[in-house]
Amino acid sequence: MELKIIHFYPDLMSLYGSYANVAVLKRYLEELGNTVTVETVVPGEAADLSGADFLFMGAGTERAQKAALADFVRYGEAVKAAAENGTAALFAGTAMELLGKTITAADGTVYESIGLGSFTSVQGRQRFVEDVYGATDLYSEAVVGFMNKCSSIEGVETPLLTTLDMGFGNSGEKTPEGFRFQNVLASELTGPILVKNPRLLEHVVRAIYARRSQTPPAELPRWAYAEEAYTITEEQLRLRWQKAQG
Amino acid sequence: MRKLLAILVCKLGRAVGRLVGKGSSLPGKYALKICPDILRRVQLPAHVIAVTGSNGKTSTVEMIAAILRSGGKTVVYNEEGSNQIEGVTTTVLTHATLGGRVKADVLLIESDERYAARSFQYFHPTEFVITNLYRDQLTRNGHPEWVYDAILPAIHPDTKLILNADDPLSSCFAQDHENVKWFGLNPCSITGDKPTGVYHDGAYCPLCHAPMEYDYVHYNHIGAYRCTKCGHAKPATDYTVTAADLDQGRLTIDGAVTIQLAFRSIYNVYNILAAYAACREVGIAADTAAGVINNYILKNGRMQKFTLGAHKGVLLTSKHENSIAYDTNLRYIAASKEPCTVLVIVDAVSRKYFTSETSWLWDIDFDLLNVPQVGRVILAGQYCNDLALRFSFTGIPREKLLVQPDIAAAAETLKAEGGEQVYVVTCFSDRDKLLAHVVKEA
Repeated sequence: MELKIIHFYPDLMSLYGSYANVAVLKRYLEELGNTVTVETVVPGEAADLSGADFLFMGAGTERAQKAALADFVRYGEAVKAAAENGTAALFAGTAMELLGKTITAADGTVYESIGLGSFTSVQGRQRFVEDVYGATDLYSEAVVGFMNKCSSIEGVETPLLTTLDMGFGNSGEKTPEGFRFQNVLASELTGPILVKNPRLLEHVVRAIYARRSQTPPAELPRWAYAEEAYTITEEQLRLRWQKAQG
Repeated sequence: MRKLLAILVCKLGRAVGRLVGKGSSLPGKYALKICPDILRRVQLPAHVIAVTGSNGKTSTVEMIAAILRSGGKTVVYNEEGSNQIEGVTTTVLTHATLGGRVKADVLLIESDERYAARSFQYFHPTEFVITNLYRDQLTRNGHPEWVYDAILPAIHPDTKLILNADDPLSSCFAQDHENVKWFGLNPCSITGDKPTGVYHDGAYCPLCHAPMEYDYVHYNHIGAYRCTKCGHAKPATDYTVTAADLDQGRLTIDGAVTIQLAFRSIYNVYNILAAYAACREVGIAADTAAGVINNYILKNGRMQKFTLGAHKGVLLTSKHENSIAYDTNLRYIAASKEPCTVLVIVDAVSRKYFTSETSWLWDIDFDLLNVPQVGRVILAGQYCNDLALRFSFTGIPREKLLVQPDIAAAAETLKAEGGEQVYVVTCFSDRDKLLAHVVKEA
């Protein structure tokens, strides 16, 4: 297949190695025999989302996020239409908040987001930085990651991580985390969440194939280093959690 | 009375602490419990110089102290690196009379960037050096703008800021501040024309988020930036490296003072310049400053030479979670001419706290090692698989890579064969795990 990835604001929303999500997905799809192009969206310049197979935006600072939002609102309807249509997407870190209804900044200013989800984000002066260990409905393995945010998110009905054993979720310690709408995934877990969670990468690949009415190989390839890295991090976090349990 | 008690407890605690080899923040902590505003009640020297920033604090402070002492000033500073309020309190009270007068010409403080505001609510620096602000220890710090916002309240209107003109973010501290001195580098041997690295934190103006352009770049996004909209740009500098040749290990400050570098790293150049600027601002003569920093070898050197079998080695301490520190050391290796092997170790992400967070590996420009003289790259430690995955996204040929989780085994592999130069890139948290297997040079 000829597949198109849209990467929103790669220089503006680039914290914590966000770009690696696109890098691993592109290589994975290519290994499956596809041709993949990545188109980047730059603030102020026109972009065409039609025919996109995957939409991505990474994490940015709270100020960068507002600058991204100011441009992103004009894609709101197109993104919602793509989402309804089953297009796969990942909005990582503060980019997740752009999918909700509103973002309230620490100074009280309220920003309208695109409203794919009905949740609201309220940013504060406290930062939640910690390792996260949780579960998703999408597959049986644990999800690992790192939380680095200053927001509390209310009103998510379909979280990506349904339970957290460890870490800060949408609205507090051990609350569900992230957001999911059809094949749109969003999570405040920072950095390369698809690198750290090989099963989540596979889920995205299957979603991309499904929208094209194609079936990927029953046995998806597994990258030895990615699997081993996941195994070690999962074990480290599980041990940490068990230790905290006493 | 509480003041006297706090001073006594702190002095006593410090003396006991020294005997048992304990850290220096606990006595200050007790003193603060007894008298929370003790730092307001003491009588400080005429000059209080503070240094903060993402990188270069410790080295800059060490050089400032050496220059000031050479210039005949008595200096008190938190040498052990306890740079939060408790450590600062210990330093101040340990060197105070029982009446609370600090017996020195200059109080010099290395301040943790996130807690500077806490330390400086009771007193403020007369000179405040901010070295730079960039991605560093995201598991503690969030992101650079978050740190910027944390430092901002620590800046008193009366304080003279000594700022890095080449850093687009920390230079913003000059907004609405009258008293600013700038240091920076003119184009020199390492200068390029556009930003480098895998991410570009200079792409957009930190003030208005319009695109920025660069006239030249010294490393990553540090150089002569210019916002296309609001006018935020590299300012004219008061203290300037007017010429620098890292191959020759030589730099010239303000067209007049020539200095030889004991360590030919761009970091060292900035740290020297920052120290020079701070000392000149408190009245030290250019000659005095130059005499001290010429060929200055840092006591807290981040570079350790060693031998391993027939190999000569250099360990370049690079803070984990700090991609620019890594990039700087990788660039140093890439500038070497001799064939070499590079050993990268990520075993514990931090020595101070637990985390399995490795996304910072994706912010490091490991492609800098994709040069002919780097014949082999060994990836070791608990997170060697994360490293290997990251390296698989560089242009470095697969056959040059060796993945060895066990650090001792990696050292053994090196020892067993070959005699090429070895560079080790790792953090404080992991360096001793390798140094235990080598013969260190004094």
